[in-house]
Amino acid sequence: MTKVQRDELIRLITSPPAGSKIAAAKDFGVDLTLLVRTLELTPTERLQNLAAAQALFRELRAAKKTPTHE
Amino acid sequence: MNDYLKLLKILCDAKVRFVVIGGAAASAQGSTYATYDLDICYDRGRDNVERLAKALEPFHTRLRGVPDDLPFCFDAVTIARGMNFTLTTDVGDIDLFGELTGIGGYKEARALSVTLVVFGFQCAVLSLDGLVQSKRATARPKDLLVLPEIEALREMETRVKRQSGAAEGRNQVRVEDKESTT
Repeated sequence: MTKVQRDELIRLITSPPAGSKIAAAKDFGVDLTLLVRTLELTPTERLQNLAAAQALFRELRAAKKTPTHE
Repeated sequence: MNDYLKLLKILCDAKVRFVVIGGAAASAQGSTYATYDLDICYDRGRDNVERLAKALEPFHTRLRGVPDDLPFCFDAVTIARGMNFTLTTDVGDIDLFGELTGIGGYKEARALSVTLVVFGFQCAVLSLDGLVQSKRATARPKDLLVLPEIEALREMETRVKRQSGAAEGRNQVRVEDKESTT
């Protein structure tokens, strides 16, 4: 991604054009800053991140739940 | 854990004609939603079905979410008799779609795909336009949930392309102006 493209993305997420899908996504609760982060990556890096996230979720699900004592 | 590299390598090495669809396609294009399997739309041509069966067969390919003792033989005949399959293999879960709601078969999915280099392989991946079309047609709550993000990604892509094109144009004008003054 070039600097011009990145600057444009930052501008778009900071001030989404009224009535745009970007504005709608922001209102819906989509974290637009994360989209900029993923768009900076290559498709391979994005799938690697996905696989890493899957591994983390599996670990968390498998983790033994123990009561927290105050 | 799903080994996307291995699954894609297996399919590409066997020269299977397929398009990556679903969550992995969305992820490869910037979506932040997590998915747990690889969904592909495959060409139902006999030669391709045979390649697909031969490619996945060595990896203990079986139906996902069914009792272990349910008889199932993963081969070209089974694929040809069915259409869509939810499978598990030794290298991860994979769903095979002969048809995709709102899109059609492989030919239509291919026409709506973009080619991305993933793990060094040139893969056909359903475009953001295709994903929007498919998810709108499927319209399950889980599809509608991801739609705002995919539509935003599509708009960001369009606007950034337009903006960088305009910037390049401005630069050209500047260069031309400079050349004309020297």
